[in-house]
Amino acid sequence: MISLSSYLFISLVLFLCGIFVMVARKNIIAILLGIELILNASALNFAAYTKFLNNNLEGHIMSLFIIVIAAAEAAVGLGIVIRFFQLRESIHIDDASTLQN
Amino acid sequence: MDYTLTTVAPIVLLPFFAFVINAFIVKRFTKLAVGISCAAIFGSFLYSLKIFIDFLSVYSTNYYIHKVFTWFDLSAGEHLFKVNMGIYIDNMTAVMLLMVTGAATLIHVFSTWYMHDDPRFGRFFVYLSLFTSAMLGLVLSDNLLSVFIFWELMGFCSYSLIGFYYEKEGAGNASMKAFMTTRVGDVFFLLGILAIWSVVGSTTFVDMYAALAAGKLNGIMILGIPLATFAGFSVFMGTMGKSAQVPLQVWLPDAMWGPTPCSALIHAATMVAAGVYLSLRMYPIMEAGHLTTFIAYIGAITAFGAATVALVQTDIKAVLAYSTISQLGYMVIGIGVGSYNASFMHLITHAVFKACLFLSAGSVIHSIHCQEMPQMGGLRKKLPYTFFAMLLCCFAIAGVPFFSGFVSKDRILGDALVMATENKAFIGVAILGFGGALLTAFYMFRMLFLTFFGEPRDHHIYDHAHEEHIGWNSNVPLLILSLFTLGLFYSGSFTGQGEVNLFGSKYEWFQTLIKKPEVSTVAQFTDYQREDLGMTDTRDKVALTKAAYDSTYGLSEEKAHHIHVVHRIGAVLSIFIAFLGIFLAYSMYVKKTLNPGWWTNKFAAWTRALKNKYYFDDLYVGKIIQKGLLPFNDLLSRFDMGFYDKYGVDGWATVNRWAYSVSRWFDNNIVDSGMVDGTGASVRLMNVVLRTIQSGRVQLYFIVLIVVLASYVLTLRF
Repeated sequence: MISLSSYLFISLVLFLCGIFVMVARKNIIAILLGIELILNASALNFAAYTKFLNNNLEGHIMSLFIIVIAAAEAAVGLGIVIRFFQLRESIHIDDASTLQN
Repeated sequence: MDYTLTTVAPIVLLPFFAFVINAFIVKRFTKLAVGISCAAIFGSFLYSLKIFIDFLSVYSTNYYIHKVFTWFDLSAGEHLFKVNMGIYIDNMTAVMLLMVTGAATLIHVFSTWYMHDDPRFGRFFVYLSLFTSAMLGLVLSDNLLSVFIFWELMGFCSYSLIGFYYEKEGAGNASMKAFMTTRVGDVFFLLGILAIWSVVGSTTFVDMYAALAAGKLNGIMILGIPLATFAGFSVFMGTMGKSAQVPLQVWLPDAMWGPTPCSALIHAATMVAAGVYLSLRMYPIMEAGHLTTFIAYIGAITAFGAATVALVQTDIKAVLAYSTISQLGYMVIGIGVGSYNASFMHLITHAVFKACLFLSAGSVIHSIHCQEMPQMGGLRKKLPYTFFAMLLCCFAIAGVPFFSGFVSKDRILGDALVMATENKAFIGVAILGFGGALLTAFYMFRMLFLTFFGEPRDHHIYDHAHEEHIGWNSNVPLLILSLFTLGLFYSGSFTGQGEVNLFGSKYEWFQTLIKKPEVSTVAQFTDYQREDLGMTDTRDKVALTKAAYDSTYGLSEEKAHHIHVVHRIGAVLSIFIAFLGIFLAYSMYVKKTLNPGWWTNKFAAWTRALKNKYYFDDLYVGKIIQKGLLPFNDLLSRFDMGFYDKYGVDGWATVNRWAYSVSRWFDNNIVDSGMVDGTGASVRLMNVVLRTIQSGRVQLYFIVLIVVLASYVLTLRF
């Protein structure tokens, strides 16, 4: 039987990896990937808690919502990245430091 | 006769409004201005006539109208400081009002003829109206303060009218001289007002009388002089300035630079009489101050001295000017010897005949365009009406019986004689008075004979005289005034003594109504009530008892007899003297049995002194002004330049410059650099800080977000 703390440890590692990716990488797509990692970490947390503490389906439903949101977010984010690349011919995050032009 | 302030005010306000309208609105429309002035003064005359008739119908010496209002009130708690203004009308005021408005009306009418071809015709009437309203205001005043205000206003009008022909340098100088000389008296007058104010707490005449009767003035000293003496003397100095008494008489002869009608109105009939009028009002103070001997001698010296100077004058107006001074001297003698009533009567009679004399002189001057008597002569045929008027006036001033001058002057001289018999100190007054009367008769008839009798001495001037230019408005005033030189209007009898029916009275109305304010009459004011200006008059009108109008009432039989005898001697003496003077003039200038040239050669030094007016002008200009005042002036100017200018003005500039540099430093360094620029710098600093935070780098924001969140969570955890 895998304990709750193991789940939470995996989740923490995922979360920290996501943070690290978001902070360290300059590629916007990589940052989007970091966000996916963080979302997955939180989804894992929901699933783990509901399994060990509640025994009902609330956490699972929330996890499904998070997966849907992640998909929508990836779609919108990639759309923005493509439009940005059309404008700047770059997907470097520091090129997106001005509010216009 | 219900008088309130509003029903009396038109007397003063009509001419005043005429002045305002003429000076500020009408201006160019000369004919309209003249009409307004004349109508206004005639309206005042009618009002005055009504008041005069009302007072005569009451016929009481105790009746008076006194209405007051508070001008301003600065009282603080116990400390009273309240200035009242008001009107005070008694018999004397009523007579004065009638005289002033009557003479002024006739002079206005005469001026329409005399001044009609003058380019400043309208302006002349502006001044005349202002002057008349000021004089009427003075007469109606119930206190010294408003008397002083109107007094100065008249001084200003006098100044303007003397300098009316300002193109002439002499006129300008004369106007300044008149203003400055009367100023000497005015300063003393103001001092007197302050002295009275400081003790009585009011300058109202009746308050003064009440204080005097209550003995409040006793034992109060100012500079070691009793208050009554100080105040009386100071006010009398004002009189000396205004009424041209020695030694402040120098301005009046020079005042003849003005147009002749204004000389008639101001420097003969009314304004100079204001000084005497004031002295009469202040008589109780002067008497309490034991000033009567001094006053009598000032008057006597003036009366005699001016008469002697008049002997040698050749200018017709100068003769009249000196005769004015001399006659004013007689009025002052009257005050000094306690001949209150006669002094006031002489004021009135003199105003009438002197106005007439001046108008006649104006008529002559305007007809022949010449003022020098040696160039006249024989004008009797050319100017018959003028001659007639002047003849009557000369009779009056010389003191011929049946004429007004005799009635009044004889009584002054008679009282002087009575005083001389009682008090040796007054002998000089009587001698100078009678001597002056002799000279008066002589020089007036000298003027008359030189002007109107004999052969024309300058045929060019004589032929040039154009009587056809003389209109009704020159002759009618003359004739009306000359009618009132008859004595019966004033005395009620031809001789000035005895009984006659006039104005419903069996006795002399003038002598009865004008009463010397002795202690008993002054005492009636100790419990008087002020009446508010809006109240109608409700005072008791006590008719005179028979005893009150007996001139010897209250005297012992012996004394009354003595006075009667002395008066009779005086009357005979003055009649004799008048005819002697006329006879001397006749024999010198008509019959030529006496040669005036012989007399001038015989008394050459005296003649020179007289021609130079006793060197008063030389004394004032040469000694007092050039030796005294100008060095003092220099000293003051040096003090001014060396001290006030150098240390005060320039020093203040230095202080200012220093303050300015401090202020500039403060402004530049603290305000400008520190505060204004500092604000900008602080904003710029904030800008640098905020710009580094808001870099637009999403990852940086994210790091901050993470750190803040983490620290928040950790804080909660521990």
